[in-house]
Amino acid sequence: MDERQRAQVLGALQGAGGLTEDVAALVGTQTGVPEAEVYGAGSFFHLLDDTAVKLRMCTGLSCAMKGSRELLTAAQAAGLPAAECSCLAACDLAPAALREREVLPEFGSAELDAAGGDWHAVRPEQAAWCGAVDALPGELAMDLAGERDRSGDAFARAAELGAGAVIAEVDAAGLQGRGGAGFPAAFKWKAVRRETAETRYVVLNADEGEPGAFKDREVLLRRPDLVVEGLAIAAAAVGAREVWCYLGAESGGPWRSLPAEIDAAKGAGLYDGIAFHLHAAPGAYICGEETALLEALEGKRGMPRLKPPFPTQVGLWGRPTLIHNVETIACVPAIVRNSGAWFAGLGRTGPGTKLYCLSGHVARPGVYEAPLGVSLDELLEAAGGVVGELKAFSPGGASSGFLPASESGRPLDFKSLAEVGSMLGSAGIVVLNDAVNMAEAALIQLRFFEAESCGQCAPCRIGTRFLREALEEAQRPGDGEARRAALRHVADAAWQMNEGSICGLGQAAPLPLTSALKWFPEDFEA
Amino acid sequence: MAGLVTTFGAGAMTNSIGEIRDADFLFVIGSNTSEAHPIIAMEMKRAVRRGARLVVADPRAIWMTSIADRHLRLRPGTDVWLLNAMAHVIVAEGLVDQAFLAANTENFEAVGETVARYTPEEAEEVTGVPAEDIRATAREYATTRKAGIYYTLGITEHTHGTDNVYALSNLVLMTGHLGLASAGMNPLRGQNNVQGANDSGASPVFLPGYQRIDDDAARARFEAAWGVELRPEPGLNLNEMMKEAGKSLKGFYVMGEDIVLSEPNVAKLEVGLNQVEFLVLQDLFLNETARFADVILPGGCFAEKDGVFTNSERRVQMVRKAVEPPGQARADLEILQDLARACGAGWPEQDAAAVYAEMAALAPKFAGIRHERIEREGGIQWPCETLDHPGTPFLHEGGVLRGRGRFEPVEYRPSVELADSEYPLVLSTGRTLYHYNAATQTRREPGLAAKQPEAFLELHRRDARDRGIADGDLVEVRTRRGAVRCRAAISKQVRPGCIWMPFHFAEARANLLTVDDGDSVTGTAEYKVCAAELLLLEGAAGGGPFPGAWWV
Amino acid sequence: MIQSRHQLSLNGAAVSFAAGETVLAVAARAGTAIPTLCHDSRLEPAGCCRSCLVEIEGRPRMAPACATPAADGMVVATASERVARHRRTLLSMYLADQPAGPERGGHSCELHAMADEFGAAPDWPKMAPLRAGRADPNPYILFEPDKCILCARCTRYCDEVEGVSAIALAKRGPATTISTADGRGLLDTSCELCGGCIDVCPTGAMTEKMPRTAAAPPERELEPVRTTCNYCGVGCQMDLNVDRAANRVVKVTSPPPGTTTNDGNLCVKGRFAYDFIGHPDRLTTPLVRAQDGSLREASWDEALQRAADGLRGVAERHGRDALGFVSSSRCTGEENYLVQKLARAVFDTNNVHQCSAT
Repeated sequence: MDERQRAQVLGALQGAGGLTEDVAALVGTQTGVPEAEVYGAGSFFHLLDDTAVKLRMCTGLSCAMKGSRELLTAAQAAGLPAAECSCLAACDLAPAALREREVLPEFGSAELDAAGGDWHAVRPEQAAWCGAVDALPGELAMDLAGERDRSGDAFARAAELGAGAVIAEVDAAGLQGRGGAGFPAAFKWKAVRRETAETRYVVLNADEGEPGAFKDREVLLRRPDLVVEGLAIAAAAVGAREVWCYLGAESGGPWRSLPAEIDAAKGAGLYDGIAFHLHAAPGAYICGEETALLEALEGKRGMPRLKPPFPTQVGLWGRPTLIHNVETIACVPAIVRNSGAWFAGLGRTGPGTKLYCLSGHVARPGVYEAPLGVSLDELLEAAGGVVGELKAFSPGGASSGFLPASESGRPLDFKSLAEVGSMLGSAGIVVLNDAVNMAEAALIQLRFFEAESCGQCAPCRIGTRFLREALEEAQRPGDGEARRAALRHVADAAWQMNEGSICGLGQAAPLPLTSALKWFPEDFEA
Repeated sequence: MAGLVTTFGAGAMTNSIGEIRDADFLFVIGSNTSEAHPIIAMEMKRAVRRGARLVVADPRAIWMTSIADRHLRLRPGTDVWLLNAMAHVIVAEGLVDQAFLAANTENFEAVGETVARYTPEEAEEVTGVPAEDIRATAREYATTRKAGIYYTLGITEHTHGTDNVYALSNLVLMTGHLGLASAGMNPLRGQNNVQGANDSGASPVFLPGYQRIDDDAARARFEAAWGVELRPEPGLNLNEMMKEAGKSLKGFYVMGEDIVLSEPNVAKLEVGLNQVEFLVLQDLFLNETARFADVILPGGCFAEKDGVFTNSERRVQMVRKAVEPPGQARADLEILQDLARACGAGWPEQDAAAVYAEMAALAPKFAGIRHERIEREGGIQWPCETLDHPGTPFLHEGGVLRGRGRFEPVEYRPSVELADSEYPLVLSTGRTLYHYNAATQTRREPGLAAKQPEAFLELHRRDARDRGIADGDLVEVRTRRGAVRCRAAISKQVRPGCIWMPFHFAEARANLLTVDDGDSVTGTAEYKVCAAELLLLEGAAGGGPFPGAWWV
Repeated sequence: MIQSRHQLSLNGAAVSFAAGETVLAVAARAGTAIPTLCHDSRLEPAGCCRSCLVEIEGRPRMAPACATPAADGMVVATASERVARHRRTLLSMYLADQPAGPERGGHSCELHAMADEFGAAPDWPKMAPLRAGRADPNPYILFEPDKCILCARCTRYCDEVEGVSAIALAKRGPATTISTADGRGLLDTSCELCGGCIDVCPTGAMTEKMPRTAAAPPERELEPVRTTCNYCGVGCQMDLNVDRAANRVVKVTSPPPGTTTNDGNLCVKGRFAYDFIGHPDRLTTPLVRAQDGSLREASWDEALQRAADGLRGVAERHGRDALGFVSSSRCTGEENYLVQKLARAVFDTNNVHQCSAT
């Protein structure tokens, strides 16, 4: 079977309006993929599976704290075809809703009342929007508020330098993957370049979905030029002629800005010999994991692969593949233009500037570009302070668990956060004030992981549900003994999830509960 | 079978089923493997997954073609043209294995002269297969060491069936694909014990162990053991027996076959059977042949007796009694011994192990095989000539059994009945996955009956349109010999001008339609080609018989 | 076998291996059993059941032995406290997700046997049932999703071995299940009813549906009789599972992969088409043609004598070559031998042929 034909499966399902009856058979005939596999792939993705749902309410931490669950209940009571969904990458504009594929920021109950039970009438005209961006003083690698640059200068400079020198600059920059893992970028570039296979690929991971993170959205809306040029530089450096962009299908804005930027660059005669392909990600957090993303690109269920082998050796369609997150790629033009040493010097405890997302109980939510290693205290100062009293924060999305207010002076970098059992992740910081019960906050995160587990391996598939059920049991009114008993297997289950899960989702999923139990045991007693 | 004995010296799969997974090139011709031999098809699928190239030569787009690298969609009955043209390419392009040829074969010159006239371009005219596909297949086959040929009744059930086998043998010999693992020439047996029945001498020509009846030394061994004199002249083969029914043949003993459903041109056979004076039938069920029987003996099925079956790869394996036969039914082994005694023969009482030992003592190919050994070691592949011989996974290692592999030149002869203006379609018959032969067993199985409840006729959309036939319509299939009714299944599997139907269904007996002309050597009838026409009887309300099937 | 130059350390002992072998295969050869649930020698390794995780020196995470190629100098630990805790907690988790109740013991369950062996904690609370079964009118295969551990042996078998992909993993997260397209019944799909999904299932989530099995005694009381399939010429080895008291075959199973020609596989006919064995339509008594042309029951003595006299009479009236003997490729080798012996030695004719000579 032709691999490119199988890759059409998810797109064809979207074109057909999702998995209604007989669509799997139809798409199977079109692509040559067995219908059961088409169905299996389609039913993996929320936006393809439940076609009756037209309105989805984000139940991520920031939106939940802004009353999204109550909104959902109201919508359902009004007879709207509504359901919950995971993070829509609009935590700064919470609560967010999704009407078909369109994200509706700052959604309110007034709009629900006005719709009068007809989902078509729910904010029928959504104007173009974006969130707030700001920066701490100093030089910036990305400068989201800056002017777009379609000169192609950085790409031309890279061509002058040659592939080896470009990779050397990236190496000197110390650029680490901004998607969450913090893996040295140059290491991957070298690995792909080293491979002997003629065909290689560059893949852009633009399927943002970590609760608390929305920086890729702003990069794509404001500075898609950086991304396209960065991709072109990377492709040339590792010897790839095709770039595949895996882009969240629910994000209406980036779906317009990225292709428009590619067209503009191509129209200006830039990046000759490099083909850009766009691929819609129809709703699955796990596809932010690089190998799950590759599976989805190939038209399959987004289930992470076993590693090793790594994508740099066996990636898209088995070929060597360089995968980077949007922000990582967006740093590349500045590195080429100004040198690796310049980029490395921008940071404080680590190289470069970093995009920090602030949402939750903060006065001015938004994306802040700041030197790597800045503290929460500094960021809060730039963002107008906490709404209420700081109790806790989640430094890098749901996967990073929670830290108490006492850690607000700690440098927000990869190493320093790992020292306290947390992580920088995607730097999606959710700020929680003292009105929040941490057991409830943990429950929100556990629900997220349960909903977004791919289901492939037992520790994650069963463990996420096991922990959620245990916590719900522990929250039932009753004596302290019964509540403690409900949590008696949490440590073992969490250990198993961390040790036994195939990918980072399952490994990190217990962290919100275990960290909340560690720092805020009193919230589990009352 | 006879064809392979002539060319190689043994009529069986040269290689083992387990070797298929390691093959690098599979040439499947006249075999609907996934339906007729699903487990062998699994091995082929495994090889393909591993990266082996698969070429399927078949008039129909069977399932195997869906995973094949190339489908040679030849017109029915034109196999000799296709195969000779492949040989032509191999000779013309210097791909003949000269070393193997010199050391192991004879009569190559005759084949060389013949195939020189079979150019790929002319082959394309006759077979409908593009000349370039013929060339590419010939090259790949000749240049791949682990390249095996797999075939079944699509090759042999023709009046020129033996010619087809010769043409394939010639390819194997000229490329030296013999005596190697994962290569060879592999007829896949359609029934559990076709191989074993042949092995046991149920043949007008051969005594057990492929010893010719006109071989005086062999005959003498059996005469000594049995205490009787045997006649050296061969008897009638099955095809001849059916034609002589009621003429020179006045009495029949039929064990385990429904000849009235399974033999070709049964209308003629039934006329003959009415003239037969006495017929004994030994079977599991009252079948169609029972109408002509004077005595019916209830036999035992495979689950009710001990013995051996020999599979396609010559592996002799145990059949073990699991349950008692119902009522007074008995294992056929016991019935046969009692019948012999009732006829006055002084046969001793023997169990299956003793009968096998008697045969093994008389047939060198199986001399080392005993029930006790199979019980201990599992199935044993013949030849196995001594009690300490481990058996033979693939034949002809270190030299062709016959001494020298014999090239047999063959010329194309058209099938006996070709399409014409009166009967413009070519009918082939065959088996499906869900039923087995006369379906006396499988149609009693509710699940199989549900999956495939009734007879059907596959035809191409174009032929359907020309006749105003829609999917699922009731049609009458007519040939010069008879007519049957069944539902039409419009299918991409058949070529335009060709139709296909299964032979499992008593209410739509395909063998009322088929010709009974047999192959000149084996007598095997031409089930695969006859001329036919279709008539629309009534339209269907509910659509085709196979909603959602992959081939529709 | 030539002594391989490749070596690794397994629980402190040096073990040699061949290039391309997995840690699981090397350990098995060295006699060190590693538990697996998703492994099958016929399938590509999936590494998804996680039961075969072992420690490998220098790797921070435990690795699936089934999917990890052995490498020179690799130091593997399968008996450490970490591995033991992993197996214990993993199996405890699996059991928490399994339905409670008497199902256990009916079907052999690899999961429960493994849980017993490695000491899964019995006190983890049972989780709420989540995945409901779906009605499927197919006659053979029953799927109970609550017992399914999603090892995907069935879907991978359906794809990689059988090549039909009638079933696949569907949905996501805890809702993940095995499904056909649109959840249709198996009869409306490309399923060929080979029953391989039943055979590979480690928990009995895929089982035989047939009512006769329900009436049969528990599996442990069935007597398996190894025999050769009576359909096509592949010669698959199979076990007829006999209910001795009822004198019935109630189920057919395949021998383990790697032991016989069929490598653990069977087709629809081999696995399911055995109802004919004890079918009410079977002939149960000899029949002879009466004067009026009808068939009547007869004793064996009478029928055999009629047969002998009738055949001899034809030979006497028309000559020995007026008789024809048709034997069967369905019958055993011994029976075919006796038919030709009967024709040749008793009736002095070579007019004998089996029914499917080619």
